[in-house]
This record gives sequence, C-alpha cells and structure tokens, in this order.
Amino acid sequence: MAEAHQESTSSAGDFDLSQFYQIFFEEAAENLDLMEQMLLSLNLETADDEELNGIFRCAHSVKGGAATFGFSDVAELTHQMESLLDRLRRHELQPNSAMVDVLLESADAGRGLLARHQAGGEGDAPPTADLVRRIKALVAGEMVQTLPSAAPQQPLPTPVVASATVAAQSKAVLAPTPPPSNTTRSLEIRIGPLDHPAQADAIKELFRDIEGLGDITVVACNQADTRVFAVETSSTDADLLDLFAFHVSREQVSIKEVDNVAVAPETRYGIFDGAAGSPETSLYDDPPPGAPLAPPPGFGFFDGAPGAPVPVASATGVAAGSSGSTASARAVAKVASPVVQPEAATIRVAISKVDQLINLVGELVITQAMLAQNSRALDPALYQQLLTGLTDLDRNTRDLQESVMSIRMIPMSIVFSRFPRMLRDLANKLGKKVDFVTQGEATELDKGLVEKITDPLTHLVRNSCDHGIEMPADRVRAGKSETGTITLSAAHQGGSIVIEVRDDGHGMSREKILAKARERGMDVSDQMTDSEVWMLIFAPGFSTAEVVTDVSGRGVGMDVVKRNIAALNGTVEIDSAEGYGMKVSIRLPLTLAIMDGMSVGVGDEVYILPLSSVVESFQVKSDAVSTVGQGAQLVKVRDEYMPVIELEKVFQVPRFDFDKSSDIMVVIEADGSRVALLVDELLGQQQVVVKNLESNYRKVPNISGATILGDGKVALILDTGALVRRSRH
Amino acid sequence: MGAMERIGEMTSAGAREYLTFRLDQEEYGIDILKVQEIRGYEPPTRIANAPNFIKGVVNLRGTIVPIVDMRLKFNCSKAEYDSFTVVIILNLHSRIVGIVVDSVSDVMELPPESLKAAPDVDSVIDGDAVLGLGSLGDRMLILLDIEKLMSGVDMALAPDVV
Repeated sequence: MAEAHQESTSSAGDFDLSQFYQIFFEEAAENLDLMEQMLLSLNLETADDEELNGIFRCAHSVKGGAATFGFSDVAELTHQMESLLDRLRRHELQPNSAMVDVLLESADAGRGLLARHQAGGEGDAPPTADLVRRIKALVAGEMVQTLPSAAPQQPLPTPVVASATVAAQSKAVLAPTPPPSNTTRSLEIRIGPLDHPAQADAIKELFRDIEGLGDITVVACNQADTRVFAVETSSTDADLLDLFAFHVSREQVSIKEVDNVAVAPETRYGIFDGAAGSPETSLYDDPPPGAPLAPPPGFGFFDGAPGAPVPVASATGVAAGSSGSTASARAVAKVASPVVQPEAATIRVAISKVDQLINLVGELVITQAMLAQNSRALDPALYQQLLTGLTDLDRNTRDLQESVMSIRMIPMSIVFSRFPRMLRDLANKLGKKVDFVTQGEATELDKGLVEKITDPLTHLVRNSCDHGIEMPADRVRAGKSETGTITLSAAHQGGSIVIEVRDDGHGMSREKILAKARERGMDVSDQMTDSEVWMLIFAPGFSTAEVVTDVSGRGVGMDVVKRNIAALNGTVEIDSAEGYGMKVSIRLPLTLAIMDGMSVGVGDEVYILPLSSVVESFQVKSDAVSTVGQGAQLVKVRDEYMPVIELEKVFQVPRFDFDKSSDIMVVIEADGSRVALLVDELLGQQQVVVKNLESNYRKVPNISGATILGDGKVALILDTGALVRRSRH
Repeated sequence: MGAMERIGEMTSAGAREYLTFRLDQEEYGIDILKVQEIRGYEPPTRIANAPNFIKGVVNLRGTIVPIVDMRLKFNCSKAEYDSFTVVIILNLHSRIVGIVVDSVSDVMELPPESLKAAPDVDSVIDGDAVLGLGSLGDRMLILLDIEKLMSGVDMALAPDVV
C-alpha cells in the first residue's frame, strides 16, 4: 500500500497540464478536420454567415487550446488564420480561392505542428513563416503572388451550374437537362391566389433539391394568398412550369422576366445583408447554434465537442481547374451547405471502457445461457416464477448486448469525409474534373472495421480518379460531360454492410485484361465470364494502366485491397462496362467482434472455423486419400485434388480414445486456394464472440483468436489463411 | 550489486506486503499489488506447440488469460492438480496472467530489516528475478520480482518483439 500512497502525494503536489494534452490533440485534430470540410464545401459567392462563423470557431478553438498548453507556434499560426477568418465573417473581405488555399495549407501545417508536439517535440517543425506572411497579406487586403489571375472580388452573377451529373445521379426523376448556354435570367415568379399559400413553399424545396436549377428567394408580398419569388435560373419557362406542376396548378403561376442587368440584389429587395445571391439566409431559418463565438481562450479546447454544428456534406464537388479557378473548383452542390444538426448530447469515453463493457456483457450472455441450460430440467409447474424470471433475463441480456454493441458503431461519414480533400488535390494534379458524391454516410459500422477499411477505400477512390475518369477533353469526345463523377456509397444489407465505389469513367476493357493476363502467363481463356475476368485484376502485380504515375498504376494495390478486405472476413466484387464506368462493391460483416463459426471436434478438443471460409464437408474413406512422395496427402474432390491438413497433427492433439479417428473432411477456401481439413466430427454452427489472444498472451501459429463457448470454456479459432499458406510449403 | 540496490529502494518505501505461496517445499513471496485475484484451478484450453509450463488459456469473465504452471517452470518434482491447487491471477503491465501454485499461504508485511540479498547460486530462476530473501523466524521466503520473471523471453508469454 506504501506505493499507492507515494504516487498519490507526488501527483497532488504539482498540477500537471500534460494529462490534458491528449484531449487537446484529439480536439484540435477534430477541429482542423471540421474546418477543412467546411472550407471545401464553402461556396465562395454565396458563403453565408453560419459557414464562416463555423470555420472561425474551429480556428479559434484550436488557438485557445494551443495557447493554454503553451504550443506557441500553433497558437501563432491559428491566430493569423483567425484574423483572416474574422475579417471574412465581418464581410470586410470577400472570400476567394486564394484564401481557401492558404487556409487549407495552414490547417495542414497546423496538423504537422501538433503531430510534432504530440511526438514530444522532436524533429524539425514545418515552416510556417511563409504561410503567416501570406495570411497577413490577405488580411491586409492585398493580392498574394500565388493568386491565380481570376478576379475574386467580383462575385460571379450566378452560382455555377456544373453539377448536373450529380443531380442526374441522385434525383434522376426530376433532373432537368442542363441548358447548353449559361445565360441566366432573373425572373419574378408569382404564385396565387392559393387556398393554402404554404403549398407554394414546396417550390423552394424544388430549387434546393435540384442542383443547377438556380436560386430562389422569397419576396415580400402584401397579398396573403399569393407568394412571390425572385428566381435566378438558366432553365426555360416551360421547364420551370413543368416542375412546378408537381405542386401548384399551371394557371396559378405567372412568370415575369426582370431586367438581366447586373443590379445588385440588395438594391432591389433590400432584405439581403449577405453576399450577392445568398439564398440560404432566407431558405434555412435555422437559428445560429448557441455556441458562444468567443469563449475565454483557456476553455477554447472544449467547445469543439458536443453540440458544435456538424456539417452534413452529402455531396461535395471536387473539380480541377488548371489554375484552381474559382468557378470550377467551387462547383459545390447546394445540398452541401452545412445543415445544423439538432443538439446532440455526447460524452467522450475511452474505447477501452467500451470494450470492457462489451466483454462484461458477453460474459453475462454466457452466464445467462448456462442458467437457461440448467433450468431446462426443472418442472415448470413447481418453478414457474424462476422460469419467468429467466425468460425476462434472457430478453434483457439480449437487448443489453445489442445496445452495448451499438456504442462501438460509428457512421461511415468518418471515413467518407477524408475523400473530398484528397480527390480535390488529386484531380488538380491530374488535370481532371471530378465530382465526388457520397451516399449513406449515416450507415454505421464497427469502429475497428472503420479504421481498417479506410486504406483499401482510399486506394479504390484514387484508382477511380486516376484510371477510371478520363481527361476532360476525352470525356467530351466520348459524349460525356467533362466533369466525371465518383460515387461512394454505404448501405446495410442483412447482416453485412456494402460499400460501393462507382465512377463514370471508361471502365475496364475485357480484351485488355485478358491480353495482359496472357502476357503474364496466367491461365485464362476467352470463355471466362466477365466477373471472372474482372477478378483477374486482383492478382499481385496486375495493372493495365498504360502509364505508371506516382498515384497508381504499378499494379501493387488491388491485391493488397483484396487481402485487407479478406482479413476482415469481407468480399470484393467488380462490375464494369467499357466506356461507362465501373463499380467495386465491398461486403463486410457489421462487426469484427462477432463471427459466424462452425465448431469442429478433434480428439477432446474443439476448434472454430470461420463459416465464411467453409466450402463443404464430407465423410471420407481412408482409401480416398493419396500421397505424393510419401509425404503430402491429397484428396480428390470431384475433379480437383486438394491438399489435406490433419488438424490432429498440426495441433498435436493428444488421443485418449483410439477407437475414434478423423474421417470427416471440411473444405475451406482462403487466399484463393482450397484445402481439406481432416477432423473427427462437426459439432455445429453458432455465432461466436471473437476474443483476442494477443492481449494477454502472444500470437499462436494457425490461430486467429479465441472465443468462449456456451459452457464457459475457451475454444481457439483457426486462421484459415495461415492453414492454406502452410499447405503450400 | 543490483539486488542490493533494489533492496535499498524497497526499504526507503517502508515495509511492503507480500502474498506467499508454496511450490513443493519452497516458499515464495510476490508483491501483493500485482495480484488481481486467487481462483481454483480449472482445466485450461491447451495451446499447441507451447512450452510445457504454459498449460493453456482460460476464460476469466470474458478475458482470455494464459495459465503458467510455476511448478513445471521451476522443475518441481511433481505437479498435481487437485481441489487445493490454486491459480493466482496477476496483473502485470496491464497484461493478465495466471500462475498455478501448490497452495497460497498468507499475506505478510515484511519490515525492511528482515530482507537479505540473495547469494549468487545456480538455480532455474533467473538471478535478476529474485529480489532477495526474507526470514521469518526459521522460515525462508524467496521474494520474486514476478513482473521481471513473467516478462522474460523464456516464458514465451509476450510477443518476442516487446
């Protein structure tokens, strides 16, 4: 006890801020990520106060925390960012792409500085002097040298209508054909008289939902039964009437064209205080979130957490202009504007505590199963109350397990959110134009899986951008819009989650892949089905890219993607149509913690096989097994010889009952090969909770983990991949 | 000598409490703060190709815990498993390990002056893992640095690359 006493006195003597460092680093990283997301989805022409305030708050929080903990370099950098953002949100400056670029670079530099502090301050700090200089110049209202020649101070008359493909994807029914010309007309649309003027509000929804349709704003009108809207659109009157017909009858609509002279909207309506054409101010009446704008610096690092507005970027345009020009690079769909989520009360809990909770609940489930088993022999007439209680216990433990498991589930948006920035940079580098669309980012997945799926997904998205999407000129020649679309979607299907990466690029060529495969001496034939051909690209070192770029094309990767996904008990499928694009679907189990297993008996021991790798099982006669060179055993299954692995020998299972012998084969498939495992008996299938052997022990050859059986005993889970590889040597 | 220094550290911290247990005729003591709990022996699940003193793994309320038989590790003449055989569950560096011993004696507080440095003798126990000898009347207590002992490479408990 002496030791404990000593420790408590030493820590109480000197209050040490360092225990909060980790919290600060996490908070700061989150704030920088959030800021980046908001910057990327910021529409320069129509940036509204809410967006700018949100970005400002992120920088401010990081600065406050950094100052408190004495990371003066971080504080100085974020202070400069804050000064710039402050002038922006006061509308003393008009946001432009140079500012966004500088702010994004500063966020990167900030991350670098933080990473250095987190690592104990070793190594060279990333240089920030130039960034600080550029920010200062921007704050002073100067043009920075790196600024492209675009004139950012002049707001373009209309928001860009470049996201028609996005609209076509998501709103196929309502999508208007993008007009050939970019002429925008200013219209006054009068709807009424209506019995229920609220009907007309649906028109506003139309403009919000259909990208590229234009902007709409409500104009004050003194007739209660009539609504008047000011609309800027490039669609024809007929198109508009067709659309409106969903909500109001044609006779009630009158469209009047107003002068197309570039008169600032303020002078006409006098109700806008935002940037020209800023529709959100009146469309979304969400009150600003209650978060204080300038909390005392000492507490700044706490305010990024619960209740902070989280932008739900459902579609984020990423486009590459040769100079990152304002128009194309900001082709951000209207739906991307941050929608303030309702205040959600959250707490930050260490993952180890959650895991402990999950373990305890798992144990409770086992105890409950044991009680249920033992009570089965009881006479229901005599023990009615006890049995009712046990039934309740059964239901409650199941509900409890479900709720506890859901704590570990996090939305896919955590993964998806990193792609817009990556694609923006990548597309810029390649000179391509790419729109990035995400669907189903609220789909939830186990945290452990989310971390492991990020790298393979990154690879697939990069591949799509590099190999799939053509150069703008090629796209136009192929009769497609010059902006390509990459879609990332996630959805639940039964007990698994399906993640898809789609692009509308040139797809894969069956002939090219077959030719390449022959060149590499692979066993292929023209009779192979399409899906078999597509699976060839997962072979190690396979690439059909004509040019090896520094992004991809070296052929390493697709096999790694497949291996990573297989390690998560998942599968990959490819679908492609030449000239129209391709789709990669990844199917994963919802959680790593639970697996469908098949239990097999060897001697007195029980081992678990992942059901996903079991192909079939059958009883063998001893003469069905032949040997090669008096060593390796082979069994013939239909037309195929496959290696036999005797689990009894691999695991040196002691035999007490010599009457029993292994005569059942279980064929398993892993890494594309099949082997037959020789076992004594098949015990059944069940869901097992996967436990880690390494946390208290070490990695055991041919074993991937352990689980606890219904009787409380431990059973080992076989590593099918290792067993298959073992048979090859 | 290292052992002397360690005893110096210990004595400055005042008397410590030790859990004592028996292996055959010998009596050992380990720091009580490293002990999580004491349980009866239940047959573990065997792990193939592990050293003989690693009996396997058991389920400790949902955690998979390896079980080391100290009697086999220390080459005791016999290692029987009966209703008196106990497992001491240790919590070392946030890793949990169970050790099988013949019996647990008691918990005793040792004043610093009763600790003696262990002479260098040839033994199956790594000399570094012996903190010293404690004398209690005519009984001799071998004080183990259980953390050091269990993290040794020959225990094969942790991954080779630590």
